[in-house]
Amino acid sequence: MSRLIVDQLHATHGQRPVLRGISLSVEPGQIAVIVGPNGCGKSTLLRSIARLHAPNQGTVKVDGADIWQLRPRHVARRLALLPQAPQAPEGMTVAALIRHGRHPYQSLFSQWSAADERAVTLAMEATGVADLAQRRLDELSGGQRQRCWLAMSLAQETPLLLLDEPTSALDLGHQVEVLDQIRLLAASGRSVVMVLHDLAAAARYADVLIAMRDGHLLAAGAPRDIVTPALVKRLYDIEATVLKAPGDGAPVVVPLEGGQLRPGAVLSQSLHVSSGNPNLYS
Amino acid sequence: MNAPLPLVPRALEAGTLGLRWGPFSLLIAWRPLLTGLLLLLALAGAIALALLAGDTWFTPADLWAVLSGRASPDQQLLMIEFRLPRILVGLLAGAALGLAGCLTQALSRNRLAVPDVLGVSDGATLGAVVGLIASTSGMLGPWWTGPLGALVAIVLLLLAAGRHAGRGEQILVVGLAIAALLRAFVELLLSRQDLTHAGALYNWSTGSLSGRGLDAALPLTIGLACLFLPTLLLLRQLNLLRLDPDIARTLGVNLQRTRLLALLIAVLLAGLAVGLCGPIAFVALAAPWLASRLAGGGRLALLGSALTGALLIVLADTGGRILLAGNELPAGVVCNLLGGPFLLWLLFNEREGEAR
Repeated sequence: MSRLIVDQLHATHGQRPVLRGISLSVEPGQIAVIVGPNGCGKSTLLRSIARLHAPNQGTVKVDGADIWQLRPRHVARRLALLPQAPQAPEGMTVAALIRHGRHPYQSLFSQWSAADERAVTLAMEATGVADLAQRRLDELSGGQRQRCWLAMSLAQETPLLLLDEPTSALDLGHQVEVLDQIRLLAASGRSVVMVLHDLAAAARYADVLIAMRDGHLLAAGAPRDIVTPALVKRLYDIEATVLKAPGDGAPVVVPLEGGQLRPGAVLSQSLHVSSGNPNLYS
Repeated sequence: MNAPLPLVPRALEAGTLGLRWGPFSLLIAWRPLLTGLLLLLALAGAIALALLAGDTWFTPADLWAVLSGRASPDQQLLMIEFRLPRILVGLLAGAALGLAGCLTQALSRNRLAVPDVLGVSDGATLGAVVGLIASTSGMLGPWWTGPLGALVAIVLLLLAAGRHAGRGEQILVVGLAIAALLRAFVELLLSRQDLTHAGALYNWSTGSLSGRGLDAALPLTIGLACLFLPTLLLLRQLNLLRLDPDIARTLGVNLQRTRLLALLIAVLLAGLAVGLCGPIAFVALAAPWLASRLAGGGRLALLGSALTGALLIVLADTGGRILLAGNELPAGVVCNLLGGPFLLWLLFNEREGEAR
């Protein structure tokens, strides 16, 4: 049975349609990565799967159960979400943060069961933050902090993990650190659905790449099957070559110089240059 | 397992103890517990001081005499009849304000979002002023005028802030606007009153506890008693809310219900305190902040905020009574005097980028 089945999902923001009939499925142990230009609906798709955005039509099933038919507490035992750049209260320790992931299993009279302790310990070990447990979150590096948040989601012990741009605030070294960690998690049988901005990283780490634009699914499949210059053009309106990465042979997209097709290209480039001077626009 | 076994796992932060007994388990953090006890002791000390200090000073021996029932009628009268009721009222109002501030701060994830700023206090003030004017005796109106005014203010705020109510600075700006509007109404009403009403109004509007007695203590006690338990039941959810609203929801928290309940409790508590004791500023801002500093570890300190709030007002009232001999400073004025420097100190102590 598929871990996640999204069937003909339609959703709107107010009156504006954002998702127009999205269908996809993710198997146990798979990493699915959603890519697409800004405003294509990828975040809304993730939020709809997480039961945070009510769809107008269509269903989301996790391990066969429609998430809108389940109670919130039971959904919380099936899927975990890590939003983009989450913030913890000042002074919170790593151990206290990760413990929050146990909320769906706890109550007023069961605040720290043996199962809670085991799950938190395992989550710390899986993400390599056990040695940081006593530290304050605000004194860690960006990569360490993101691994702690990941540990919190792991402690939730859900078969499905949803991540919204887990590497957006990180430098290249920490990006690789976090993505490798996610790959290890998937190898242990969890399914991961994440949104990534970086097409190179997406193509390298995805088992299933999901390309979206304007609320439609353009393509879904193994990166080396679907990443072509034609797809890149349909996604981002740019001309690009697709190379093979040395080593694993993952597709690498290289935009061609002057390949921008949209009339707004010149404007956005000049803005990009001037934003190098922070005083000018702030 | 027959007896609770202490566990020493790495998975818990230092200073936290997990206790298990069959299917039940408890998590005890020493520091909030100890600071809670210390605050209780400090509060007891402040109450004793408030009983002894004033135009006539007593010795601890006199206090002991009163407690054991061997005091002279004068001592009895001054300490029990005059001083004790206003101490009680100050204590209860402080606890209510501290708790209310802690709730609104946790809800909006913003340390500045307290009843004073959100217009709740001004709504309560308006309610109380209308109640006072409507009464013929020149006394304060019934206890429910404050909470009612506060509720009206928060409904206005939520309507005006609309969909943005849950997030960011927007609600603070709207709150300030509503607070200013309500204050203008209060001023307008005040300017049209005769002397009988104006005198009582002035006394009340400076946050003076002078003459406050059991008629104010009783509604506050009942309000706190009824609202504190639901607050404790919300504690787990509120803690998650401070992380991130989306995370809280995917962890199974009913966000809207939690927010609405917590806001309602905060508004009722602040409305009660302001309606009965006058607008005492800064306590709702300072108490939760001090309490969470004392409790440490980024914890939400509900009980600590209530205790700190109580301590602050009892001390402010006592200070106001003894600082200028023969000329009493209202507790609200003392809080205003201390509040400005406190806010500056808070700003300078805040580390950059952590304005929460």
